[in-house]
Amino acid sequence: MNSKSETDEASRGSEASSSNNIPTPNNLEDSSQPVLCLNPVLDSTQDIMKRAAKQLIERYFYQLLDGCGNPNCVNQYCASNLQARHLTPNEAAAEAIKLAEHKEARLCDSYPNKVPRTETNNCDSSASTTCNTSNITDKKNSNDEKPESSSSNKVKEENSPKEQEPETSQNLSQEDNKDSSHNNGVPLTEERMCQLCDDCLQTKIPQPLIRALGEAFTQPAILARSFQSKLRDSKTTCEEENKTDKESKAMCSTSDPDKDIDSVTGPGLDVASCHRAFQYLAKVPSEYYSSALVTALTTLAEHLMIDLRINQKMSMEDVVNCFVIAFEMPDLGCSDYLEIALPTLCLAAEHLPVKAQARLARVWAQHCKESLRHILDTLQQLITLRIISTNYTRHYQVQDDESVTRATKLMKILYYANMLAGIVEHNSQQEEPIVIANQLDPLGDALYDFLPLSSMKNSKQSQPEDPLAIELDINVLDARKPYLPFEEFYNEPLSDTIEMDIDFASYKTDITNGKKFAFLRYPFILTAASKSLGLYYENRIRMYSERRVSLLHAVVGAAPPAPFLRLTVRRHHIIHDALVELEMVAMERALDLKKQLVVEFEGEQGVDEGGVSKEFFQLIVEEIFNPDYGMFTQQVDSHTVWFNPTSFETEAQFTLIGIVLGLAIYNNIILAVNFPMVVYRKLMGRKGSFEDLADWNPTLYNGLKDMLDYMESDLEEVYYQTFRICYQDVFGNNLFHDLKENGDSIFVTQENKKEFVDLYADFLLNKSVETQFKAFRRGFLMVTDESPLGALFRPEEVETLVCGSKNFDFNELEKSTEYDGGYTSESQTIKDFWSIVHNLSLEDKRKLLQFTTGSDRVPVGGLSHLKLVIARNGPDCDRLPTAHTCFNVLLLPEYENKEKLEDRLMKAISYSKGFGML
Amino acid sequence: MAATRRLQKELNDIRQSGLKSFRDIQVDESNILTWQGLIVPDNPPYNKGAFRIEINFPAEYPFKPPKISFKTKIYHPNIDEKGQVCLPIISAENWKPATKTDQVIQALVALVNDPEPEHPLRAELAEEFLKDRKKFTKNAEEFTKKHSEKRPSD
Repeated sequence: MNSKSETDEASRGSEASSSNNIPTPNNLEDSSQPVLCLNPVLDSTQDIMKRAAKQLIERYFYQLLDGCGNPNCVNQYCASNLQARHLTPNEAAAEAIKLAEHKEARLCDSYPNKVPRTETNNCDSSASTTCNTSNITDKKNSNDEKPESSSSNKVKEENSPKEQEPETSQNLSQEDNKDSSHNNGVPLTEERMCQLCDDCLQTKIPQPLIRALGEAFTQPAILARSFQSKLRDSKTTCEEENKTDKESKAMCSTSDPDKDIDSVTGPGLDVASCHRAFQYLAKVPSEYYSSALVTALTTLAEHLMIDLRINQKMSMEDVVNCFVIAFEMPDLGCSDYLEIALPTLCLAAEHLPVKAQARLARVWAQHCKESLRHILDTLQQLITLRIISTNYTRHYQVQDDESVTRATKLMKILYYANMLAGIVEHNSQQEEPIVIANQLDPLGDALYDFLPLSSMKNSKQSQPEDPLAIELDINVLDARKPYLPFEEFYNEPLSDTIEMDIDFASYKTDITNGKKFAFLRYPFILTAASKSLGLYYENRIRMYSERRVSLLHAVVGAAPPAPFLRLTVRRHHIIHDALVELEMVAMERALDLKKQLVVEFEGEQGVDEGGVSKEFFQLIVEEIFNPDYGMFTQQVDSHTVWFNPTSFETEAQFTLIGIVLGLAIYNNIILAVNFPMVVYRKLMGRKGSFEDLADWNPTLYNGLKDMLDYMESDLEEVYYQTFRICYQDVFGNNLFHDLKENGDSIFVTQENKKEFVDLYADFLLNKSVETQFKAFRRGFLMVTDESPLGALFRPEEVETLVCGSKNFDFNELEKSTEYDGGYTSESQTIKDFWSIVHNLSLEDKRKLLQFTTGSDRVPVGGLSHLKLVIARNGPDCDRLPTAHTCFNVLLLPEYENKEKLEDRLMKAISYSKGFGML
Repeated sequence: MAATRRLQKELNDIRQSGLKSFRDIQVDESNILTWQGLIVPDNPPYNKGAFRIEINFPAEYPFKPPKISFKTKIYHPNIDEKGQVCLPIISAENWKPATKTDQVIQALVALVNDPEPEHPLRAELAEEFLKDRKKFTKNAEEFTKKHSEKRPSD
């Protein structure tokens, strides 16, 4: 007879004999249905009573059946008492219930047993001695326990050993095995998880696995101690293969306080082990456990939230560990996870204090890099799913949809983790702040007080920085290379759905009362296009308010009405006229720069509804960036323009360019300028540093990087470089500059090469153009100083604002391409080539440009200025296409058909990096 | 000029080493960033003459690679009519600042002696080189006789 049926009968017996106030130990019977085990342990009093009663019954039962282990026991209801009658399990069960009801009998051990002893099942009345001994050990365990353990008992007791295969208990190790798999509320370990998965796969019975997962995941306290990194193996090394089981057994009785302390202050969560364990779990068909796990996760999240909001009993570390483990979970592939468990987790995460959020971000960044993408994808999926399945109206906005906003909030933590996981530059220097004077407008200020517009005035204060960013001490400008590209955080369905005007309004009022959710506070999730719409509202509102104020000025009779920023220029003296006019405005009424721009060409009738000012910008840009004009130089290998350090132009000219750039953003006009990224970074307040050279002048950057990577001791002789560097002015004259005092006599060595590189970059990007850039930035800030530009956009996005998305006009390129080596525009291969190229994605087109020209930037004037040459490189063969980037020559063998051409071409452009040429 | 210490050193080293295949090095004292010299190949069809080249060093040398161009016309698949040559060792992608100019020159001489038709600048010459070597050699010899400079006597 096996214990299963015994207990069954026992409980049935209990049902029969128990009165109503004694809860039936139903769970014992129903444990074959896993879901019940996962029932949230809600602390209603009834539940507690039920559990207590059940516990009591069990204790009587075991005492009657197995005894307390004391050979001199005198308790008549204890099997150890030699006078006591030996009972069959059934009799014992019935008796136990009776005793529990009346509570008259004495219990030998004063504390509830920690280890449920139902497992030591094979003792019938003719029990063997081995059985007894094992019970004794059990008891010892239980005697060690402290009363606090009862809380963790709760769930344990709900379990029953039903699935246990009938076996003889002769084998101690077997018994250990069983013990461990049934020990309830045991923190999970990797080994145990693997073991459970293996068992599950072997026996096709998922219950033990489900139970183990359920126990761990429903109770934050236990989950937090799961997957601890192991330093305490030593305790259990003595056992052979059952070591790990033993360990979990040991842990199971860890309710004693020092162990608890151990696990808190101990080495902490071993995320890698957790990750492996879940990977192992993924081998088990997910239908076995996914719904149970979802329920468990939901419960976990609820518990966490209660703890975070009310009790705050758990340590911050434990809470964070729980989140980390919960998000390591592989894709459960069931909709419940997305619809129920994940939103609840997001809700719980919302209640994390800033410090805990920071810790979570750090743990993610340090230990879970590989999981970041998965977590992000899951969150994106959740948001997208919500967005497309919900009908938002003016009254029910996306901003009101809490599952979206919560996921967004959690994504923010992930966003910072992603930055931390990548390359962060810590000692970046700030550009000096520039204070724009002349912004005071006393009359305007006075008028504001009478106007409902006064709230707009408040918005002048800049957006406060995100507290989490402060806690983590990180700024998006310092994130050189995030682990995942920032673009992956964009959620396009969301960006398309948002009513930007409403979001913008919440964003603005947010500053003062902080109640309404605005996605603009989470700019990472919005595409540049939708953010620029936000900026558009900002600018329009400011324009209108400036306009209204100027009308009021007029009414009061103080100043002439100037609702617009009106420029009148002569077409042939456009720079000069614009310069004079804008300079006047900047000097006298800088506020006017924020009015809507209206341009008139002298002697022309065009009324500016946008078109005229567009042309105005175009003409100015063309003129100013013309290298012959001398203000900017062309960087040959990166197709970018840079400030001419030896420019003869006055600072005012550079200020003008700054104003123009600002006005272009402000008035939503796209300019054909090709600044390297460092310009935008500098505009946003970070000085250029070595890493910026990569985009500014890739060849130079690679050369310097090569030196940094050069580890031989002969660096000094090989490079023979001093701290004096040489540069050329626009006329090709060589100029010299000492990076340090006496630079000429200081050689670059292994020790100071980093310093050299930093000084070099600082000179090229900051010092040599300091006056020019300062003037330029000043002009830019005159227009944009109060705008949320810096808070909403990354430098890359500002570039898109200024230049528009990079549009590669390959038709233009096709027209200007020349052919060599026997190809003509009529050759079949060439025809195929263009038809393939025109169908490439933007990204692939970019790669193709990079491959053939060494830069993915479009030269000023468009792709037709590239002078691409396609040369025939022999008849059909297996070689890949190659390129001479120095002369923009693409070498293309005459492949036999279009498929082969496409295949070879795609291979070449996709794998061109990292392979040496030739 | 001190910022070009390394160039000065390299120049001295090359002059002292007395390379047979690269001679008559002329450097304008006011601008050490431009060198001229005579390439003297050993292999036919180019061993009948010598070819003047110019090496232009950027101001950022050695962190940026030098550029080489032929002043003498040459019939060669890897050198175009304007005298431009694509030498992998000094391409922006492959450049290593530790590379010395004499290594660059040796690479160039090797390329002149043994054309690499797989990566031609002049595709029609490459094809001729591969398909009709005799014709190519004949053309190249004639071209060399007609355009190249005199080989130094020793």
